[in-house]
Amino acid sequence: MREGAFSKHASRFVMYAFLIFVSLMSVFPLYWAFISAFNNTQQILGGRMIPSTHLIENLTNLFAQQDVWRAMKNSFATSLLQVVLSLAVSSIAGYGFEIYHDKYKDGVMSVIMLAMMVPFVAVLVPLFQLFSKLGLLNSWIGFFLPSLATPFLIMYFRNSARSFPKDTIEAARIDGLNEFQIFVKMFVPMMKPTYASAATITFMNAWNSYLWPKVIMQTSEATTMPMLVSNLMAGYVIDYGVVMAGVTLCSLPTIIIFFLLQKSFTNAVAGAVK
Amino acid sequence: MTQATPASKKKRFWTMERKQSAAGWCFLTPAALLIVIFSFWPMIQAFLTSLKRGLPTRLTYCEPLWRNYERMLSDKVFIQSVTNTFTYLIIQVPIMLVLAIIFASLLNNKDLKFRGLFRTCIFLPCATGLVAYSMIFRTLFTYDGMVNAVLLGSGILSEPINWLNEPFYAKVVIIIGLIWRWTGYNMVFFLSGMQGIEYSIYEAARIDGANQFQQLTKITIPLLRPIILVTSIMSINGTLQLFDESVNLTRGGPANMTITMSHYIYNTMFTKNPNFGYAAAMSFVILIMVAVLSAIQMKVGDKR
Amino acid sequence: MKKLVSLFLILTMILSCTAALAAEDGKITIWTWDPNFNIAAMNVAKEMYNKDHPDVEIIIEEVLSEDVETRVITAASAGDISNLPDIMLIQDNSAQKFILSYPEVYADITGKYDFTDFAEGKLAYSIVDGKNYGVPFDAGTTVGTYRTDYLEAAGYTIDDMTDIDWDRFLEIGRDVKAKTGMPMLSAQAGAVDTVLIMMQSCGASMFNEDGSVNFTNSDVCKTVLEYYKTMVQEGILIEVNTWDEYCGTLSNGSVVGTINGCWILGTIMGVEDQSGKWALTNIPKLPGIETATNYSNNGGSSWVFTNGTDIDLALDFMQAYRNVDFYNEILPTTSAIATWAPAKEGSNYTAGNDFYSGDAIFAKIVDYTAKVPANQTGAFYYDAREALGTALTNYINGADLESELANAEDTVNFAMGF
Repeated sequence: MREGAFSKHASRFVMYAFLIFVSLMSVFPLYWAFISAFNNTQQILGGRMIPSTHLIENLTNLFAQQDVWRAMKNSFATSLLQVVLSLAVSSIAGYGFEIYHDKYKDGVMSVIMLAMMVPFVAVLVPLFQLFSKLGLLNSWIGFFLPSLATPFLIMYFRNSARSFPKDTIEAARIDGLNEFQIFVKMFVPMMKPTYASAATITFMNAWNSYLWPKVIMQTSEATTMPMLVSNLMAGYVIDYGVVMAGVTLCSLPTIIIFFLLQKSFTNAVAGAVK
Repeated sequence: MTQATPASKKKRFWTMERKQSAAGWCFLTPAALLIVIFSFWPMIQAFLTSLKRGLPTRLTYCEPLWRNYERMLSDKVFIQSVTNTFTYLIIQVPIMLVLAIIFASLLNNKDLKFRGLFRTCIFLPCATGLVAYSMIFRTLFTYDGMVNAVLLGSGILSEPINWLNEPFYAKVVIIIGLIWRWTGYNMVFFLSGMQGIEYSIYEAARIDGANQFQQLTKITIPLLRPIILVTSIMSINGTLQLFDESVNLTRGGPANMTITMSHYIYNTMFTKNPNFGYAAAMSFVILIMVAVLSAIQMKVGDKR
Repeated sequence: MKKLVSLFLILTMILSCTAALAAEDGKITIWTWDPNFNIAAMNVAKEMYNKDHPDVEIIIEEVLSEDVETRVITAASAGDISNLPDIMLIQDNSAQKFILSYPEVYADITGKYDFTDFAEGKLAYSIVDGKNYGVPFDAGTTVGTYRTDYLEAAGYTIDDMTDIDWDRFLEIGRDVKAKTGMPMLSAQAGAVDTVLIMMQSCGASMFNEDGSVNFTNSDVCKTVLEYYKTMVQEGILIEVNTWDEYCGTLSNGSVVGTINGCWILGTIMGVEDQSGKWALTNIPKLPGIETATNYSNNGGSSWVFTNGTDIDLALDFMQAYRNVDFYNEILPTTSAIATWAPAKEGSNYTAGNDFYSGDAIFAKIVDYTAKVPANQTGAFYYDAREALGTALTNYINGADLESELANAEDTVNFAMGF
């Protein structure tokens, strides 16, 4: 009995130690970027691990060189729009594929899966051709249209819909709800954790997307945060302090979004327990 | 009487099942259309390009048509890039997914203290911008960097390793980088999947004397199968198209020993003398590889 | 007299009318990438031009060098170049590749701009088939710049480093290494900058006149690689992994000096507490080669123009680049050094530089620039550069030089047969 208690304590200790170790490893690079925003180039290249006094200077330089507010605004607008639209389009499709599945729809699904197997570099030029013909260069629509419906999100929602109980659907039908209402009123609320994680990931991908925006958005009006940060790396002389200040600012929103949305994961546990 | 017949026929045509099936089609059409227009159409264009040669604005069909595909067989850099990519795939994907499941199941324990904090910490790497990510890894792994200092100090190594300049170790750095950056990402999916599992199942198992490990293998993993399928297809796919790490961490070096397929394709189009036909042909080879691997995965993992 | 005056008046009226007409759509868009360097320079040019032509709107957009290239490639391939700017900056090493690959994008400006007094070696980068496509921006002229305190510790001065050849450089390097333990130079592993600098100083390049690749039959190439390997093996040149580390070796004083394009001065002079400790001279030349000089080039960029835009207006604006005052004004803020010889008369060029103990380094560099041998880049520059880098890495790690060069040549020939 005592031995059991001891090993239980020991395993708890090991577990916490493990988690703390993993967390430290994970956080370290971001910590580095953050404290480097307080340092100058020489200190950063010298590997200084503690903050110095150059934060204000770095930030002043950053804001003097670049229109940070505009980039933030652009990044937020495009990312949020993409999250909302992309979740709407992809989740209803995933739901449709799973709940009403038959061999034709499964067939379509396998074909759609093919779409995610093309390296993006390969379709960059034909896609640009298409958008220039449609007159969508330099537009926000052009920015997120290609990544609105992603095979990945469709598949994710399709697989998650598998755990959506069939009798709930039947019951709803008897209550007189139509198919679309069932989706909106039953599926969406029940799948909150799925939506939360999908939103987190989509926001992150949209926020960090780089290759496509820099091809399609050809005016500085449309600069996004990742473009701004990479602009800082141009030139013969790189001020790493300013770069790191930029990197920190660029990483903050994704962290905040994750903080906000992870509540949905947790809440669902409480629901399951009771 | 006579009038009723067509109406009733019509009614019979729109049976419950057909109605529902039609609703299903309506639901999936917008997404499917978007994918056809923005993925398949460019893909067909790219396929046609893969049969052509010449300057980007004056492409002409090759003779023989499969010339670009034939070229690959004798292209040492391409073969190197395929070898590299598969090395990353075989080593990194399993390690990462296993770690992600372990983290997720540890964090899914409602008695765990500081759960949110741990979760956020493990997720943070994928919120880190590429610039910070590559800067930090390059500084950590330089010859007189922190990693060597720690390994030397603790007596694990007797001589420093030139991490980024030795083919073997440069690959190790890329794999470490990948695991670091993407484990938290996959963990998010497992965590949300685990919310769908009734907590009472675990409680029952615990009463039956199942330990943490048994709960993981006997309950969590089987129930998470659909999510595991999604994430593993996604990871395989992502690794075969790996681009950023190769470009930013090692620049494909030393001597092309860490270059990936997508990186090589990008170079062929954008940094070297532009050869669109050949680049498109190489992309199609990647497409086929991913398709085959995913098909195998689906066959093995997707049992209804 | 009255008639003459009225004629004059009418003429000026007509001229100002046409000027006003031109001003209606007088708009120049420019893509360039570095706020402290080429953007700052263009801003000065803009101010100067707007003083005389207030109606011409000049828009300078910050676009990364790789992005300029990606956008040109996508736009040209889509057959829609209407979104490209009037003027864009291009890396000299890419210029010929782009002009050859996308001839419909770039405007031929031969005869429309006065190229006298620009350094010949610099102009060559943007000349294709004898036609001019670019107006030079900054010099990439190579300099040898060393820490005088380290040299002195081993008993040398900057004069001992001037007009020497690589054999002498090795001797000094060995001696300095023995006395101070310091390597002379540092370089990024796998990068062939130093090798190409050494080759160009002999007027040699990776290609033959006809554009075919030239590694195995090039004595210059082999000699250079041998010298490079010797330096690495003896620790006279240390290889580091990344560009950041390379900059680190300069700013933390772990090497005696460096041989690189003059733009590296920005990094060196950024470390203020090292002021007065540096000196600058030309680079060593290759012994036993007839065409060898002490001058070379690495990097630099030029302005190119998009077809179908108002080239005359753009070139009128570009007159700033034939103006002593312009170069003089941008020098202190950007350290961009002119490739146009008369610029060295500017007061900022002739003035002594405090960081370099009062030496007029900028005038010196303009003189070097005029002596840099032209070299051939062509469409396959980056293919060849990468292949040579692979060969160099393998050769240093013990592979046979001849077979590595043959491999590299194969790789480039393979790329050429597309």
